[in-house]
Amino acid sequence: MLPSLPGGSLKGIQSMHDETMASGVYLPELDVIPARDTTEVHRLRFHGNAGDYFRIWIVNVALSLVTLGIYSAWATVRTRRYMYSNTTLGGSPFDYLARPLPILKGRLLTVLIFAIYAFAGRIAAPLQGVAALMVAGFMPWLIVKSMMFRARYSSWRGLRFYFSDDYGGAYKWYLGVYFLMGIPFLAIVLATAAGHPGIGMLLAFASFTGLYPWIKGNQQEWLVENHHFGGKSFRFDSEIGNYYGVYIKAAGVSLVWFLPCIALFSTAAVLINKGNPQAFNPKMPSPYFILGVYAVMAPAYLGVWTFVHTRMTNLLYNQARLGQYRFRSTLAYWPMLGLYVTNALAVLSTIGLALPWARVRTARYRANHLQVIGEGDLSDFVRDAFAHGEIGATATEMDSLLGIDIGL
Amino acid sequence: MVQAIYFDGRSTHATRVEAWRDESVLRWRSASDTREWSAPWLAIEPSARVTGVPFTLHLGDGGHLQIDHDALPADWFARHHLVERMVDWLERRWMAALAGIIVVVASLFGLFEYGLPWAADRIATHMPASVENAMGKQSLAALEGRMLMPTTLPPDRQSHLQAVFWRFTNGMPDAPGVRLKFYQAKAIGANAFALPGGTIAFTDELAAALPDDDAFIAVIAHELGHQANRHMLRQVLRSSGVLIVASMLMGDVTSMGGVAAGIPMFLVDSHYSRGFEEDADRFAFDALAGHGIDPEAFVRAMQALERAHPEWKAGQARYASSHPLTAERIARAHAASRRFQAARAPRVASR
Repeated sequence: MLPSLPGGSLKGIQSMHDETMASGVYLPELDVIPARDTTEVHRLRFHGNAGDYFRIWIVNVALSLVTLGIYSAWATVRTRRYMYSNTTLGGSPFDYLARPLPILKGRLLTVLIFAIYAFAGRIAAPLQGVAALMVAGFMPWLIVKSMMFRARYSSWRGLRFYFSDDYGGAYKWYLGVYFLMGIPFLAIVLATAAGHPGIGMLLAFASFTGLYPWIKGNQQEWLVENHHFGGKSFRFDSEIGNYYGVYIKAAGVSLVWFLPCIALFSTAAVLINKGNPQAFNPKMPSPYFILGVYAVMAPAYLGVWTFVHTRMTNLLYNQARLGQYRFRSTLAYWPMLGLYVTNALAVLSTIGLALPWARVRTARYRANHLQVIGEGDLSDFVRDAFAHGEIGATATEMDSLLGIDIGL
Repeated sequence: MVQAIYFDGRSTHATRVEAWRDESVLRWRSASDTREWSAPWLAIEPSARVTGVPFTLHLGDGGHLQIDHDALPADWFARHHLVERMVDWLERRWMAALAGIIVVVASLFGLFEYGLPWAADRIATHMPASVENAMGKQSLAALEGRMLMPTTLPPDRQSHLQAVFWRFTNGMPDAPGVRLKFYQAKAIGANAFALPGGTIAFTDELAAALPDDDAFIAVIAHELGHQANRHMLRQVLRSSGVLIVASMLMGDVTSMGGVAAGIPMFLVDSHYSRGFEEDADRFAFDALAGHGIDPEAFVRAMQALERAHPEWKAGQARYASSHPLTAERIARAHAASRRFQAARAPRVASR
């Protein structure tokens, strides 16, 4: 819920044209009350430019490599500060306040854990399974810690964000509810035992589609409502039906993307391998085959992922509220997809050198499509009474490595 | 006088102020001249300089002054953040950025060509044999019954090859406890591979394709090279290292960036693998010569493999392949054969 997360990753926040807004469901006062005079729109702006960010980035990457990764924590702080401080709301920049040393400690621990995990699988698969289960068990804790870290070290106008240490809620919405996903499988098993596997599949599909959007919606609500800023808590006016809408449309979008891609790929594969029955050697598939799979599946995956991400981000902001302020996120699908596709192509064809440029233009687009709306000039937030103790960086380091899609 | 914005740390109210230094005190007053504040100079913690980022002077009581990047007088806080000052000096120069690219390329090359293999091999020498055995068992268990089926070679052919294998490996110091196992493997075709812990898996298809016992021994010698130098363990360690380094560089192993990182990771892994194959080939040439067998046998083995796998010829890409190009391997075998004959010729002549 931090509007202050332009910080880096290509995973952006985004959505289609703002039909959620047009419906007026989420911002009734805009339509109902003719309060144009008092309601102010505060825009987020991103002022960074690719040239500056590129120099900062490449110098810091070079120094990190030369120091065998030790400097990387300082590099992270500098590059993040650039992204945060160039994002302004009401003319004031956000601030990234984390210190390098805790980040370095967290990073070293993360590398160690990851190294053990990566190697365990080569010796004994059960060992890796145990490790994966342990990670799953810790995931909610990790999410809370990571969110606490991000909030604790993000500030605006001298006030820090705060994320409640609601471990119970995290275990409920990021672990507990996934046991409910067992219901679809149970349905398959039971129906198959009763001799109706078809009905079982149908039941499973129904309960899956029934559960998944509900889970995602509740996760967003939990995330938003545990954030606090300036003596106020974020509120979330969630309409669970919106999530069903997003995922039903997403299913349609994936059909539209994947069917032609798979068809294209199979025809190409068949044509190329005509009269060569041994071409699909399962032990050593040809590198062209692997490249082909990547080349075909990547756009399809990106197309679907972008859709879900755009829509979910808009829902996240548009249903959130902080005091008398509301948010308006108007990320649109096609511009967002265009942004990601060109970013991916540019980064690939420059062997990564275009990464800073990609990040800057993504941050700019996202900032331009997020607004804070409310009666006030944003100067009415006051310091809260939360104890803002220091928070370790291990969780947030692990989170950025594992790429847990928290949805922010 | 320096233009600044003052935040008291208790609210988000922004006050435009003018700040100035008064000996050991920083003073600032609101633009409307109504209020004035001060803080001891030594209690102030300035943020480090980053291009385009405003300075934040933390005042100790939670409040801060925000000063535009270009507006901070040069003599204020000149002794703070000395390292980051140097970094900032570099960050403002395009020449440094160009040098940065060169440094990145050079250190990545050094890291993947020398640093990572060296570190992985260090770790490999300290790995207990039990780890290697577990790894071999795990790989074999994953393949047996799926890719590798019980052999269909006639028993007398099997025992003949086992006898040849035993004669060759017996007394070879580099290969203690090696075993030869035959499998029918339609999915894999003619192939042989060395598993950690001493098992050499040999497919029926390869046994059928090889023209003579010396070619069979050439393949065995190559696989023994993998065994003797613990190639699989070292490869696993190296590719784990590549995965770790890549994920640290890319930051995220699951996103699109992670997918894109898969391609260079694959190329680096293949590069290591080709190095090990060349090692094993060299080991094989020496072992063959040591047993008085002309390394030309290796050429016959390679040709038999090529006949059994017509698709290899079409699909070989030098940098994506896990093995060196067949033509190069054959050329090296020819060279080894010439050396073998040259070494033998004087002895033959003197007899």
